[in-house]
Amino acid sequence: MTGNCTYRDEDVLAWVLGDADGSRGDDLTLHLAECSSCRERAEEYCALDRSAGACREGAVIRWRAFQSPFGKMRIAASRKGLVELTWRPLDDDAFVCGLEGRFRKAPVVCDCGQLEAVEEQLHEYFDARRTRFELPVDFGGLTDFQRAVLTAASGLGFGEVATYTDIARRIGRPRASRAVGNALGRNPVAIVVPCHRVVRSDGSLGGYTGGLRYKEALLDIEGRQDLLDLEELELGGELGLR
Amino acid sequence: MESLTLTEQRGGAGPIQVPVDDWATRYGDEIERHVTRMLGSIDEARDIVQELWVTALRVPPDWGEGSNIRAWLYRVATRRALDVLSARRRHDGLLEARSRELEPDRLPRPDEVIHGLSDEGADLVRTRVAELPSKQRDAVWLRWIEGVDYETIAERLDCTQDAARANVYQGLKRLRRELAGLWKEEALR
Repeated sequence: MTGNCTYRDEDVLAWVLGDADGSRGDDLTLHLAECSSCRERAEEYCALDRSAGACREGAVIRWRAFQSPFGKMRIAASRKGLVELTWRPLDDDAFVCGLEGRFRKAPVVCDCGQLEAVEEQLHEYFDARRTRFELPVDFGGLTDFQRAVLTAASGLGFGEVATYTDIARRIGRPRASRAVGNALGRNPVAIVVPCHRVVRSDGSLGGYTGGLRYKEALLDIEGRQDLLDLEELELGGELGLR
Repeated sequence: MESLTLTEQRGGAGPIQVPVDDWATRYGDEIERHVTRMLGSIDEARDIVQELWVTALRVPPDWGEGSNIRAWLYRVATRRALDVLSARRRHDGLLEARSRELEPDRLPRPDEVIHGLSDEGADLVRTRVAELPSKQRDAVWLRWIEGVDYETIAERLDCTQDAARANVYQGLKRLRRELAGLWKEEALR
């Protein structure tokens, strides 16, 4: 801007965005004829404005947080489907940071209603009003093996359980039950991809990332009290799920 | 064009008479360049400049003392260009709002407005947006990409409307600085 120019960067931006109030905007419109640096700046803001289209068509990760019986739950989705569901006690910054590390090129932004339907389906599940999620899941960025394991686990219906060995067999790697356990342990979309429905061959529940009591609570919701012992059922009661 | 003359103030030399058809020769290219840079489309810029001559003849501007033809032409042309930009923004915002649900394997919509950037250019824009500090990124995304109003943004980000607006502006100022080289490069393509 020239030496006698009283317009700030913000004024030019407000003018381009249509945020400038009437008279200030009109003055600037006249001023642009005289001030080549303001004019150049206005052109750059217009170019920036046009390039918003690049973000509308590209990758984006949206996230949302809400209260659940498991505590504060956070979900994230690409344009293709859910990429994360967790109730780990993180703060928002740590959660966003994790997503940024996983999706390097995609802007990670808070959602503005897009994920309401996902939240709603989860509430319905916790209230025992839903036995099946109608949600796309995006396994992008995972290894082929993880993807195969999670896809196989996704085939288990409400209240249906399989063993780690069953899953290993289903993906054609019958000796890989330990690796299957590891892949399920790193399931980024818990509950919706029902890794809690995979148990040990000896009838015990096996592990669960985030705590076994959550696995018990989920199987309890799904009517599989037969797999739980009394003591653990009481834990489920503590979570307010019964 | 009719041979109509209007008075133009020119510095200390006093008012002079300028035939209307001289305007086009004198200011047409300059204004068309400016509007082209604003809109990223030479065709739309030409339309606006054509309209400009028609408007000037149909509704002769009220030249007050000290007014100037060039400034008037700029004013009419840039206001018109801003209207085009804002109509595009509303159109794109509506499309984005319509795609609020998860769409598996979403393909680009046929009615999507083309941003005119190369693939690498578009990639760079997305990367720079992704690198904004998270408050600015959220605010910029909601306002600039999705066209959400400041009241809703403030609610969503749990801050005041002034803070929401400040975050949008800081983010866009930073993007303009970081991407200034890109417009120049892309213009050469």
